Amino acid sequence: MNYRITHETVYRYADDVARCFNRAYLLPRHTDRQQCLDARVHVSPTPPSIDEYQDYFANRVTQFAIHQRHRELSITAESNVVMREPNLSASLDIGLTCAEVLSRLRSDRDAATLAAREFLLPSPMIRPRDEFGAYAAPCFAPDRPFLAACRDFSEKIFEEFRYDPGFTTVATPVRAVLEHRRGVCQDFAHLAIACLRALGYAARYVSGYLETLPPPGKEKLIGADATHAWFSVYSPGEGWTEFDPTNNKPAGLQHIVTAEGRDYSDVTPVSGVIFGGGDSHQLDVAVTVARTSGAPIETRRRS
Amino acid sequence: MTLGTDNVAASAARSPSSERVHDEFMALTPAAREQREEKLRRILRDDGTTHHAGAIAERSSRAWDLDLLPAVIDAERWAPIEAGLVERAELFNLILADLYGERTLLRDGVLPPEALLIHPGFLRPCDGVRHPGTQQLFLQAVDLLERSDGVYVAAADQTQVPRGIGYALENRTVLSRVVPKIFRRANVLRLSPFFASLRQTLQNLAPELDEPHVVLLSPGPTDATYFEHAFLANYLGLPLVQSGDIVVRDGDVWMKALDGLSRIDVILRQVRDWACDPLELQSDSFLGVPGLLHAARQGRVLLANPIGAGALENPALQRYLPAIGRHFLGREPALESIPTYWCGEADDLALVTGQLEQLVVLPIDHRRDEAPVLYPATMTADERDALRARITHRPEAFAAQRLPDRAGCRQLADDPGAGAQAITRTFCVATGSSFAVLPGGLSRRVPGSERPLDPERWSNRDTWVVSAKPLVPTASPFLDRQGRFKLVDRTPLPSRVVENLFWMGRYAERAESALRLLRTLFLTLNGPDPMPRDVRDALLLAVTRVTGTRPGFEGDGALLEDPDEELLAVVLDARRSGSVRANLAALLAAADDTKELLSSDMLRVLNDIEDANEALGAALTGGLASAPEEALDPLVTALLALAGLTQESMIRGVGWRFMELGRRLERSLQLLALCRSLLIRPLPDGHEEEALQALFLTLEMLITYRRRYRGRVELPQGFELLLIDRSNPRSLLFQLEALQGHLDELPRVGVDTRELQPEQRAALDAITTLRISPLVTLGETDADGTRVELAQLLERLRDRILTIGTVVSERYFEHREGPQLLVPTVWEGE
Repeated sequence: MNYRITHETVYRYADDVARCFNRAYLLPRHTDRQQCLDARVHVSPTPPSIDEYQDYFANRVTQFAIHQRHRELSITAESNVVMREPNLSASLDIGLTCAEVLSRLRSDRDAATLAAREFLLPSPMIRPRDEFGAYAAPCFAPDRPFLAACRDFSEKIFEEFRYDPGFTTVATPVRAVLEHRRGVCQDFAHLAIACLRALGYAARYVSGYLETLPPPGKEKLIGADATHAWFSVYSPGEGWTEFDPTNNKPAGLQHIVTAEGRDYSDVTPVSGVIFGGGDSHQLDVAVTVARTSGAPIETRRRS
Repeated sequence: MTLGTDNVAASAARSPSSERVHDEFMALTPAAREQREEKLRRILRDDGTTHHAGAIAERSSRAWDLDLLPAVIDAERWAPIEAGLVERAELFNLILADLYGERTLLRDGVLPPEALLIHPGFLRPCDGVRHPGTQQLFLQAVDLLERSDGVYVAAADQTQVPRGIGYALENRTVLSRVVPKIFRRANVLRLSPFFASLRQTLQNLAPELDEPHVVLLSPGPTDATYFEHAFLANYLGLPLVQSGDIVVRDGDVWMKALDGLSRIDVILRQVRDWACDPLELQSDSFLGVPGLLHAARQGRVLLANPIGAGALENPALQRYLPAIGRHFLGREPALESIPTYWCGEADDLALVTGQLEQLVVLPIDHRRDEAPVLYPATMTADERDALRARITHRPEAFAAQRLPDRAGCRQLADDPGAGAQAITRTFCVATGSSFAVLPGGLSRRVPGSERPLDPERWSNRDTWVVSAKPLVPTASPFLDRQGRFKLVDRTPLPSRVVENLFWMGRYAERAESALRLLRTLFLTLNGPDPMPRDVRDALLLAVTRVTGTRPGFEGDGALLEDPDEELLAVVLDARRSGSVRANLAALLAAADDTKELLSSDMLRVLNDIEDANEALGAALTGGLASAPEEALDPLVTALLALAGLTQESMIRGVGWRFMELGRRLERSLQLLALCRSLLIRPLPDGHEEEALQALFLTLEMLITYRRRYRGRVELPQGFELLLIDRSNPRSLLFQLEALQGHLDELPRVGVDTRELQPEQRAALDAITTLRISPLVTLGETDADGTRVELAQLLERLRDRILTIGTVVSERYFEHREGPQLLVPTVWEGE
């Protein structure tokens, strides 16, 4: 399946910005199931240069600065990707048990497992709390196949939490999400990661896009898509497997990855420091995920 | 006796060199010792040596506490320690390169990933940022403890912002002055070669540049060790900059200087890792420079130490140093660390929880730069159980260390600190291919041994490494290879510094003119002849107007009835803008920000001003009852000393010019305010003469006037002296012409014309207007009894002078807009 993604971010400031320094995670990274054919970022006003490099987590970072007065900053990323089905789809019920995963995470010495141990640890937005482990524990019986348990756990979040865009902000703590049983994709991903880490599993945050399809017979609207987030778990020897608790399914062809990290703070789509700008700004984000080849898939989603 | 034992029986082990030094100190009579300690304290005060709240403007800063007695170690014993330190620094350098590069330590299983990754000093955004060449680590501080068997072991390392190097130098400088003979005879290894290496390495960090522009980046006067930053910048001849002085533009790093941007190649960094760049390091603090890390990543600027070096401060690393040594060097490092455990290892966890009270516990997963040290031995049983539970719950987040049971630097028999533990902090600096070690450092005595790692409780000593043989003199670090003095004054000043000098001049003048007027008032209030009420009221109103402490006497008529309280407030109330105290505080704060440019005499005078300011409260506690003007005299004298030094000792550079500009500008404005208050509406019944006398007394013109005009004080002779007499350094014309002179000399970038600039035009206009005004006309009053011409003249001059101030500040000083984050800061912890 081939997609073209357009992700436009516009900041409108109350007052002139004298200069700004920005960082963006907008370009799709390479993964096992995804290849980025080409991608570029346009910025207006045009900065003297736009640098791209790979960060610690092998994500693609874009960095630029503007020293020209402006009231409006627009950042547009355009990329073309080829998606493949994830390797395992029906095999979640076989494979390592939860107990085996826990033990091998500590004993295996291969590079992938050592690297995965990063994602056992607390991270800036996900601090350990006892209630996280308590919430998830029933899904992870020691002899249960680990990936099946993860699928059940993802479903548990889907069933027990309300999708409520009005409830949380980027700064809502995970414990509040658990307490009130509501949030958006980012919150559900954070919650799942917090719970998995509390039980001793390696879990990371995935940020990206999900293709949405219009109701039958209607044209797809430009900019109707949005950024999305889900989580990924590690099983020694089996690698990383992604689950989308917001839509209750493993990540598939329609889940396009931009970046992976310990939590949202590692992969914030656009961040920056501005000088001036007054005391408020308006932020508009428009995302379009368009198919450039491949058969349509029927789907409903939320992000 | 070896260092670290105070047992006289062990003195057999004491070598002749340190023995000799010891005996010389012992030979000092109590009186001689007292006298030297007094001198030592005085020098430290004069140098403004402070720690903690660092700013000279704030009394909360703690004077640096230095013992007269140094810790002494023989050169033969020092040699192996030095070799061990060099090896340790080389090893840490390899670790640093590996942690932000290939991470073979994790890949090859030398270091468990959690031990590195859980530490807040490991900054993922720094991954892949490398200096060219193999040397990444520039400066490392190592804290050494002496074990009871006499072997020195490393307790901790500082690599983000190694602190104490400036204090070590200051200690040495002071001690060598206080006990010069003992010092000379002791053959103490010199510190200057180390600083020469430091300077050389800084220059060499940018190998492709002949004369790289090196600066010292400091968080500013609020930092606890700002003294050290200023001291180092001064000693090394580097501009002392703060984050607001730096901007990243087109990928390069620039200093905002008066005449534009000046490129920076190398930064000696005193800002902690996480605070260096709010863009990438998710800092809610703005001590840093947005884009700085990316400039380093692109190789456009070199930071010493590199951002992220704080990862080396992780105590868990010490647990694995022998293995890391084998991994990189094929051997275990010779300099041992004190026994360190990391609870992520099952065996260590069992040992730590089992022997908790014998250990100090170091949480690794702390917030940014807290790095707490826990002392289970001082805890209750319940607290220990709680800590044990925390450790068991998240073992990988804790390390622990076993301190040697006896540690101490050399104890002298009559030393009140005998029995105290001591830690010696020394430093390693990169030299291109290896490292050089400071022969000496800070030895800190810790009274009581319960919380030995707690720096709050340290007093300190210089550390002398003494040689049996006389030393070969070494070249001064200020001489280059040909022995010529290097030019260090070619680098431009940050515009912030210039702005602060400008304000120093203004605040000094404001304080001085307020003091002068108040002194006059106090004198005449209590003088032998009672002052007519209208003259007194006019003077009180002048106080309000000259100091700008409105409403003051302008507002409440009752204050005029009983002015004492208000007058005291105008002197003492620091919270009141315009008061003497407020001006002095602002003066001292501005001085703090320019500290590295001020000579030691200047610093001494600033200390005097501070002391006199302190003393003011006590001197005026009795109110204005008895000779209150006496209380003001020391301050006036100190301010005059400052003005005198500015004239006599400051290079006529751009900084001096702005300071003078500020002073002249302010003096003109004060003079105009005085004239407006006292001269525009002449008092009837010959009372005007008394008002004029007061005016002249305030301006130190009374004697001149009496001598010159021999008699009654009268206009327009008074006007002549006051307004247009060029020979009078307090006349208005004198100020205006001085102002004009300074304005003509200001750097003008991008101005390619003979046309006068707005500020020059304003100065010329003021001078001309003043000079063409007939004095007789100025003295005339209208039917209303107002000197209309004079009022108009003063108004016009005031307008022109204010214009000069505005134009200069807009043209030369940056008006900062504070940065803000686009995405709210991500909280850490809950």
